[in-house]
Amino acid sequence: MKPRMVWLALVCFVLSAGPLAAQTRILTGTVRDSATGGALAGVAVTVPGTRLGAYTKDNGSFLLANVPEGAATLQLRFIGYRRRTVTIEPDATTVEITMVRDLLKLDEIVITGQSTGVGRENLPNAVATISSDELQRTPAPTLEAALQGKVPGAYIQANGGAPGGGIQINLRGISTINAGADPLFILDGIVISNSSIANGQNAVTAAAAGGNASNQDNPTNRLADLNPADIEKIEILKGGSAASIYGSKATNGVVIITTKRGQVGRAQFNVSQRFGFSEIANKIGQRTFKDSADAASVFSPALVGQYFRPGQRVDYEELLYGRKSLASETELSVSGGSDQTRYFISGLVKNEPGIALGSGYKKQGFRINLDQTLGGRVSVAVSTSVTHSRSDRALSNNDNTGTSPGLVLPFTPSFFDPRPDSLGVFPVNPFERSNPLQTLNLLKNQEDVWRALGTVSTKWSAITGDRHNLNFTVVGGADYFNQQNDFLSPPELQYESLDGQPGTVILGKASNLNATLAVNGAHIYTPVSKAWSATTSIGMQYEYRELNNTSVLGRSLLTGQSSPDQATNRDVSQDVRPGRDLGLFGQEEVLLLNRRLLLTAGLRADRSSNNGNPDKYFYYPKLAGSYRVIAPIGSLDEVKFRAAYGQTGNAPTYGSKNTFDTTGVYDGNFTTSVGPRAGDPNIRPERQKEVEFGLDAQLAHGRAQLSFSWYQRNITDLLLDQTLAPSTGQVTRIFNSGATLRNRGIELGLQLIPVQSSSVYWSFGTSFSRNRSLITKLPIPAFQTGGFGTSLGVFQIEQGKSATQIIGLVGGVQKPIGDAYPDFQMGFSNDVEWKRFRFGMHWDWKKGGDVINLTRLLFDAGQNSPDVADGGVARITKWGAGNTKVYLEDGSYLKMREISVSYGLPSNLVATMFGGQARNARITLSGRNLIRIADYSGYDPEVSNFGNQAIVRNIDVAPYPPSKSFYLSLDVGF
Amino acid sequence: MTTRLLRVASAVALSALALSACNFDIANPNSPDPIGSNPSRARVAASALGLLAGVRSYYPGWILNTSIIGRDGYRFDGSEPRYTTEALTGALDGGGFIGGSQWVPQYRNIRSANELLTYIGTAQALSASEISAVKGYTRTMQALDFLNVLVAHTQDSIPIAVGIDVTAPPAPFVTQTLAYDHVENLLDSALTDLQAAGSTGFPYSLSSGFSGFDTPTEFIKVNRALRARVDVYRQNWAQALTDLAASFVDTLAPLSTGTYLVYSTGSGEATNSIQQSTAENFAHPQLRDSAQLQTGGLLLDARFLRKTFGRTAQTTANLTSDLGWAVYPGPSSPIPIIRNEELVLLRAEANLQLNNLSAALDDINFVRTTSGGLPALPAFGSQAAGIDALLYERRYSLLYEWGHRWIDMRRYGRLNQLSIDRPGDVVYTTFPIPTDEVLARE
Repeated sequence: MKPRMVWLALVCFVLSAGPLAAQTRILTGTVRDSATGGALAGVAVTVPGTRLGAYTKDNGSFLLANVPEGAATLQLRFIGYRRRTVTIEPDATTVEITMVRDLLKLDEIVITGQSTGVGRENLPNAVATISSDELQRTPAPTLEAALQGKVPGAYIQANGGAPGGGIQINLRGISTINAGADPLFILDGIVISNSSIANGQNAVTAAAAGGNASNQDNPTNRLADLNPADIEKIEILKGGSAASIYGSKATNGVVIITTKRGQVGRAQFNVSQRFGFSEIANKIGQRTFKDSADAASVFSPALVGQYFRPGQRVDYEELLYGRKSLASETELSVSGGSDQTRYFISGLVKNEPGIALGSGYKKQGFRINLDQTLGGRVSVAVSTSVTHSRSDRALSNNDNTGTSPGLVLPFTPSFFDPRPDSLGVFPVNPFERSNPLQTLNLLKNQEDVWRALGTVSTKWSAITGDRHNLNFTVVGGADYFNQQNDFLSPPELQYESLDGQPGTVILGKASNLNATLAVNGAHIYTPVSKAWSATTSIGMQYEYRELNNTSVLGRSLLTGQSSPDQATNRDVSQDVRPGRDLGLFGQEEVLLLNRRLLLTAGLRADRSSNNGNPDKYFYYPKLAGSYRVIAPIGSLDEVKFRAAYGQTGNAPTYGSKNTFDTTGVYDGNFTTSVGPRAGDPNIRPERQKEVEFGLDAQLAHGRAQLSFSWYQRNITDLLLDQTLAPSTGQVTRIFNSGATLRNRGIELGLQLIPVQSSSVYWSFGTSFSRNRSLITKLPIPAFQTGGFGTSLGVFQIEQGKSATQIIGLVGGVQKPIGDAYPDFQMGFSNDVEWKRFRFGMHWDWKKGGDVINLTRLLFDAGQNSPDVADGGVARITKWGAGNTKVYLEDGSYLKMREISVSYGLPSNLVATMFGGQARNARITLSGRNLIRIADYSGYDPEVSNFGNQAIVRNIDVAPYPPSKSFYLSLDVGF
Repeated sequence: MTTRLLRVASAVALSALALSACNFDIANPNSPDPIGSNPSRARVAASALGLLAGVRSYYPGWILNTSIIGRDGYRFDGSEPRYTTEALTGALDGGGFIGGSQWVPQYRNIRSANELLTYIGTAQALSASEISAVKGYTRTMQALDFLNVLVAHTQDSIPIAVGIDVTAPPAPFVTQTLAYDHVENLLDSALTDLQAAGSTGFPYSLSSGFSGFDTPTEFIKVNRALRARVDVYRQNWAQALTDLAASFVDTLAPLSTGTYLVYSTGSGEATNSIQQSTAENFAHPQLRDSAQLQTGGLLLDARFLRKTFGRTAQTTANLTSDLGWAVYPGPSSPIPIIRNEELVLLRAEANLQLNNLSAALDDINFVRTTSGGLPALPAFGSQAAGIDALLYERRYSLLYEWGHRWIDMRRYGRLNQLSIDRPGDVVYTTFPIPTDEVLARE
């Protein structure tokens, strides 16, 4: 920590200490907000064509020395404001400039090709962009959490509350059933991994035995490694029409993340220090037993006699999940540069203890982004980062062994005290197989990740002229991480002796490499009249990836031993997943009629080693257009009509083309048996055809913007992991079934500035989205997927039905009982600035989406629910008679995701602080997930026992409880 | 300028070309392909032993489930309430893991056997008699898998003509009679194969669980023992005696003589998941109430004392037990496939049914005294009395070894005599056809 700070300071010093040239003409000025008249600090003021540049001070003033004689041009850039170019009179020495807020992001250039983009005003798709400001208002545990509720059409859902992540992003509905469900993540031009690698806790929980053989290890997904503070912008291409240029990787959408880069000017040094804490958001509770007779109606009288004490009641959730430890986060960044070299350097140290004993998340990150101009035509941008994170995940989710604390509570009465005696010895829990307090105290479930990301992007502007512009970009980079999982369940844990092999240790080591090489060429032609322009781009993208996951499981350990080497019995496993993809593309974009009409056509060709025929190319075309009508009527400033069509693919997951035998050892000899899944040697990508129509309107002189989109996406050639008749000897068969899936939806967005005066600025935004999926064709019999069996609710893939329909028993007969996908989602955000105060609030409303609450079922089964007398018994009895719906609950919620109040310290006060070095300082009080309104009896309707899944989500089995967080932050700029 | 441009453009094109030419056909390093033509000795051995590994995987679950359904035991598992709900009351759920069991791993093993039988004839590394030996072994194992499906599914019977192509329509269901015929045919053609193998050994070691039965000649005795079990189930009493004579039934040999599934804590092996320290599994207290007294009148049936142990009483879902299972002491304890004690009782049953009451009495008394420490019974007053005695011996001799108790009570129409512990609980006569099997045929 300390050496790093010193180092940063040193870098800052060296880079900012350039010698000043002899001064001739001096230009001073002030920059103010056009509406409020308030001074703007930190505006970048540059003189194009020179090396001159400055940032405004806290009072909005700037000073440029050595300004060329004669009329000059100033360019002003400031985050959240429209860019401005100002011409300065030849004799002027001082200038007053105002800037206009860009709430509607009109100035934004949005990516439409691999290296080309268009202005938002012409954009033919509803591409969502999230700025660094929107990400940073309230500290978030991971990047995805900071996006929740902010992107119309994105369903971002946490799998549980464990620190360190585990969140799924789902764009515009259900885009696949059995292929990969993750969007493609691009960071600074390269593909990055968002793998979820299981920790192997199944060796203890045996969750995959019995009811469902899938992974329930509560894995983290690796997007958690990114530092939100490093991000300048996130662009989200939600579907086929916008993402077609990414071909067979893009059906689930593309999330393009751009990190911050240095600006010309003196070094800017920013420090943020945050302190906070988290606490359990809500508790479920347990039954209170009135007297020993009450207790003996559930538990054996002998045990009741031994343990029941009138009035003795232990709050288990407080003991297990009641921790409120200090969380802290320190961010440092320095950026600046000359016209030749620019830099952005940042560091992060974060410590976020979890509410559950033995859980927490620590992250340290370091990033250097450099931009270097080589001569007049070549520029090189280097982006590198190293992140280390360590998450302690405790133990949660399903089990079959009575080990997961959330599954022990339903069967452990609140009158049993699990706390250790004076010698530190935990009592044996005679009511279940483990003492959950002992488990969380002694169990270690640690994930340690080192991740390095590096990109070099070289741009050669071969021709820069009035009519022709030609440039080539070569982006090469790698994303490498090494994840180590240490899981230790020591032999003294109560449950450990039950399998006859006390003590379990798992050492998992996974490494993953994604290497990308992309070459793009873009030619822009503008005729002398400037009435139109044409952008032609071609390029290729090559990706190599390999995930290598090895794990050693050891059983039977001596107390104190933690190495698999010391285990009596050992099991080794390895899983290697190599892959290569190559894509070629071309695109033509024409801007006509004085930038009113945009027409785009493109084609991408893709091949992948995951396909049955790795040499075959698959083609994905796109077509799009938009037309702006300026000031058609009254207070309508502008209306843009847009239409887009595009195709994308979803390549089969690794190994889908192969059929494998299962192997094992029998009495010391190697064995093979038929594997559970039949592959298909002819397997090929799914194909999505998306059509999108929309309009964007600006009203009231830029103070309101309304946007509307309607889309329909048909996914054909659907890859299905068809559940076979088990008498065939195999369980599933993955193949291009000929099935089709349709999604239809609408997205609405409204941005308003209701008040804009000299002292108050209020902006309000809301979004609405809904999606309906429908399996329009299924040439194979309907089949069930996921879940724990019909009586506990399963998902059924069936023609004419929603892809997320839930089937259960109704009076003992299998019937549809619900749907996991929400009816609609809305987001609301309010930002108010009043004098030096800023107030921000963000709400996320999900309506509908059913959740199968098996945690409640287990409490009822143990006759241990808090409402056992007036509900619990009736529920479990009704369920026992073949009615699954009793445990299907409405997953609607309204959550206040973020709230913050901040105060910018007055400049005279700032001047007296930090040795007079500080430019500005701000104090912020913020909270995350402070309010949740939901008619859900469990911890949180945002839950997924099976982790990230295309379909099988919303199953609640003993999750890690959700938390709410409070933060106090101090941000200082030097 | 233009030349430089051209140079760059061609460099880009060349690099794209170079990449597109690179090999995208990446082999999968994680697992072997299915067995194919001309398998090596090692491949044949791996496939053949895979059949035993398959049976090993499903026996503990079957034993546990039928112990509950047959009212010999309970499972009090906080994580899985269906052991005290679905298994005992309401209806078995063909879409759940209890009701839908005794089907998937069995058919998977049947498929493995079919693949081995398809390609074994092309194995050039094996002699003709070795190939015969492998066929005899494989068909015997396949018959065992079919038998396991059949005893669990009585009402609808089962598909038998299953192949190795998942894209073909599912094999049709056949009647119970035809399905049992198929099992007998498999066992009999296996016998022919094993006889053809002669004195040649198997081209692999059959594991320590087949000690004494690991050559084709010895393995024939296992084959006939299984056939005898099928004969008795089908009430072919005379045939049962014939087949038993060719089996390893022997009142001079230990009752434990037989073939076993090997469990182990070694790497890649499977452990015995119903071993003694598995805290969730309980024996039914009624086992104590029904146990007879040993000679001397002080101790209960030695089999009861040997196979259960007293533990702290636990109550779950209004069920209570204070008895644990001690049949399998540890995670490496073997589970029998078929053993001498069952064969002696099969012979007793066949003789009883053929009205050879004294021959039956001899065998029953042999088991009673040797295994249970009980006093010998006097001559049976009637065939019915003999059946009552036989069912008692079978219950305690074969306790927690397979689904014997539930199957026996069903065979004799006595499921209604099993203990009902809670009002409304039911005793099932069959497992339903799994939902996946039903849906795939719609």
